[in-house]
Amino acid sequence: MTPAELSAATTGRDLRLPFGIALVALACVAPLFLGNYPLHAMIIALIFLLPAHGLNLLLGYTGLLSLAQSAFFGIGAYTSALLAVYFGTPFYVNFLAAGLAAGLIALPLGIPALRLRATSFVMCTLGFVIIGQAIAKNWISLTRGDMGLAAIPKPYFALGPASFAISGTVGFYYLVLTIAAIATLVAYLIVRSPAGRNMIAIRENETLAESVGIPIWYYKLIVFMISAAFAGLGGSLYAHYLTVVSPLTFQMYYSTTMLIIVLGGGAGTISGVIFGSLLFVGLTEALRVAPELRMIAYGFFLLGLVFWFPSGFAPLIGRFWSFLEKRK
Amino acid sequence: MTIELSRRGFCIGTALIGLQTISSSAFAARSEDGTVRLGLVAPTSGPNARYGAFSLRGAQMAAKEINDAGGVGGRKINVMPGDSQGTPVEGVSATRRLIDQDQVDFIIGDVSSSVTLAMQPVVEDAGVLLLNAASSNPMITYKAGVGGFKWTFRNYPTDENRSLLVLQYAAEKKGFTKYSVLSVDTDYGRAAIQFTKKYLLRFKSEILTEDYYKEGEVDFRSVLSKIRDSGAQAIIMYGNADSAPIVGRQMMEVGIAGKIPLIGNAEFNTASTIKAAPKAMEGAIEAAAWLPGYDSPKSKAFVDKFTAAYREAPNNHAYVHWETVHLLAKAIEQAKSIDREKVRAALSGIHYDSAVGEVTFDDHNQARLPMILLEIEGGTPVVKGAYKAEIDYPK
Amino acid sequence: MFYTIIEQVVNGIVSGSVYAIVAVGMTMIFGVLRAINFAHGEYYMLGTFGAWFAIEYFDLPYPVAVVIGVVATAVIAVVVGNFVMQRIVGAPAEAGVLATLGVALILQNTVILAFGGSYKFFSGGYIEPVSVFGFTLAEQRILIIIVGLIVFVGLELMVTYSRMGKAMRAVSQNIECCAVVGIDVRHIALWTFILGAGLAALSGVLTAPVNVSVYGGMGELITFKTLPIIIMGGLGNVRGTFVAAMILGIAESLVATYIGLQFRDTVGFATLMLVLMWRPHGLFSAQARF
Repeated sequence: MTPAELSAATTGRDLRLPFGIALVALACVAPLFLGNYPLHAMIIALIFLLPAHGLNLLLGYTGLLSLAQSAFFGIGAYTSALLAVYFGTPFYVNFLAAGLAAGLIALPLGIPALRLRATSFVMCTLGFVIIGQAIAKNWISLTRGDMGLAAIPKPYFALGPASFAISGTVGFYYLVLTIAAIATLVAYLIVRSPAGRNMIAIRENETLAESVGIPIWYYKLIVFMISAAFAGLGGSLYAHYLTVVSPLTFQMYYSTTMLIIVLGGGAGTISGVIFGSLLFVGLTEALRVAPELRMIAYGFFLLGLVFWFPSGFAPLIGRFWSFLEKRK
Repeated sequence: MTIELSRRGFCIGTALIGLQTISSSAFAARSEDGTVRLGLVAPTSGPNARYGAFSLRGAQMAAKEINDAGGVGGRKINVMPGDSQGTPVEGVSATRRLIDQDQVDFIIGDVSSSVTLAMQPVVEDAGVLLLNAASSNPMITYKAGVGGFKWTFRNYPTDENRSLLVLQYAAEKKGFTKYSVLSVDTDYGRAAIQFTKKYLLRFKSEILTEDYYKEGEVDFRSVLSKIRDSGAQAIIMYGNADSAPIVGRQMMEVGIAGKIPLIGNAEFNTASTIKAAPKAMEGAIEAAAWLPGYDSPKSKAFVDKFTAAYREAPNNHAYVHWETVHLLAKAIEQAKSIDREKVRAALSGIHYDSAVGEVTFDDHNQARLPMILLEIEGGTPVVKGAYKAEIDYPK
Repeated sequence: MFYTIIEQVVNGIVSGSVYAIVAVGMTMIFGVLRAINFAHGEYYMLGTFGAWFAIEYFDLPYPVAVVIGVVATAVIAVVVGNFVMQRIVGAPAEAGVLATLGVALILQNTVILAFGGSYKFFSGGYIEPVSVFGFTLAEQRILIIIVGLIVFVGLELMVTYSRMGKAMRAVSQNIECCAVVGIDVRHIALWTFILGAGLAALSGVLTAPVNVSVYGGMGELITFKTLPIIIMGGLGNVRGTFVAAMILGIAESLVATYIGLQFRDTVGFATLMLVLMWRPHGLFSAQARF
């Protein structure tokens, strides 16, 4: 049970729903009082939230550390970009194709990789990112190599007479907010389902899980694919927002970012990941106030995170709920 | 107890820092403080910092020079750096912050083309002038000016004509017909070779081997042995300044120094590069918009000042950023205001007297830069030709 | 034709020696600390900067600069080891990844802050080419190969015969039992880490003369080259890592010559993935411990 559930169970009052609704309402009216720059930061946080949910399912709930999120992020970004630039397809096609492509490619990659033990698996997933970048750089006829794909058109919804294109930061913000909300809901439903409980069982004790009949190998593979799909969807949003994709999209930087979001927020909790995403973006942007010291401060922050908050900020959030409960 | 305190401190600190971002005033007008705010987006951390550092220093030195002389129209220039880490996401974040929070008037940036391409729509929406002084992707220019992005200007040469002229000189003056390619594996290196290939037939030349090295590569021995055995007469190299001395030294090791010259552009003509491998650099042919050894009073003054101020010699990025700040200052002076529309108009029609000659902008906001062709003879670069070229834009 | 292949193999052995010195350090650190040290390349960079600083600002001769570079890095390793690495022992893998990434960021950017981000030229070292069995090599490269062999032999001897070496082996095999036998695990962890970082620094100073360009971010590439090597060699397996480094060096050389230089970096991870498919426990370990 998460701390929030525990406190809800003891006091008979679940504050999370009203709190969550308040938060969503706040997010909806945010553009009224936030300028373009904080909105941009929110958009980035929400875009990264998708692959972070994926990694959370993999690491937080099934216990598999993977650095491959960047590879699937990149695959999603390129798929979306190629469709948009060469075929002018509407946004929802690009978006879904990106998730599908990433998820499907994860299948032949996951089958051999999941046989490996933990550390080798981590390195193998890192290898996916490196090979992904090499393919993006050298398959020039498809990806234009280092020249990249630029001028990706704005997200376009072809609904007959009601078609429209999203333009402007505010429009994009609402698009991303909607998608992130749906993704969070999907992730929540997955972890709440019996499948979710099986995933936790695998994380806690693989041998025991297997002995009670959970087909762990299939679970790992499916979660790997779902995680990849989430990352691919995030990549699609990224491509449409930045309007540029290049082999630089396949970089360990993104995998690390997802890891920090998940671990910082609290692996194994849904609200933790949301918090982690906002925290990460808020921190990296705010640190720009001291440009020369920025990355050094960020490095110390990582150390602080690892040594003082090994379970991320989620326990804090849990204490916050209990605090609220006690107040009543 | 201490752990608890440090944890709390950590939390509070993080929360405060996070709130600072949101608290930026959304709709405040640009406050008049008598300065010109110039944002500079460049990679100042991560591996690409080795190029960004030069850009930043060049710009800062120019700003200092202008401010010491009284500023531009009485206003001091304030250079505000933003770190892009060479990644498009960070670059866009830095740009947004500079525009919305720091309320810059103009932006110079970035070094990496993908970052610049990502910045273009952002500055276009905000109506902020963007001057690019280092990116090489031709798309930046095709899409600028009448191509769509009116607010982007590029003060950096394109490789289309450079590759033509290098090949032409090598074929006509040296009689080379067989080449090996060893260029950097970025859009710069790849595009330059793409352009070169367009003209191979015209000069009845061929490329025997084609290799691209990653930025930061240090081991060229295998490729150089391959080139040695291929029968190539020259190596076409479009690359970075810090790889040239490494390649030169390894050419000496492998035994092709002095036998197979380098042609193209990778700042061969810097004193330290020539010193690192004199035999290998002999006969190198390079076309560039500027080199540290350029013989003009303004250029020499720049090199001396930079070396004195920073204890190391400037490179191409440092020079172009220095020049671009001065160019912007001249445009502001001509426009007699820092209003962006007026400055942009001034830039479009400017005739700027740079350290290497007169600079003007074409209708795609691309600078027409005079370029020179040099050959290294007896350890010193000798100018073999100068040219100015028009670009053939795709319809 | 035959000569060319031999020549590329020789080239491969040269680059393999460089990788080997760095990789054995990283694999030992893993064996004892169970942490993938994502900051390992930064010690390579620190060693190089230490030597560069000595030559540039104090005009010291190259051999002295080598010592300074390695010692300076060792000192920094003591600090990092005490405050960070020791705490990673026993922590989950994610903690190690993030912590070492944090250390990497701090080291990289402090150097950039202190010396400026621009690339520096490394002067010094023995760069004159000499002819050995018909192959021309810079003298420095022969030095690298020799040092590589010395390091390898030295480590083998240390691990087999010395008290410290035996303790390291014990820790890498079974941490819980070490406490029973009276081995101070944290002490061993710290010293293994310092040794590993020192080796990385040594590799950096030795290759600086032939690599010429020195800059704060140069460590990242080294880390990414070394990671596949230690997995292929078997984590914690010094012998296997040494051989894997040589194999990678030769493979890279052959790929660069016959397929294209742009694919050189992929050789490492591509080979790793193939090896993992076929022999998940690495080429040289009998069973998969990790």
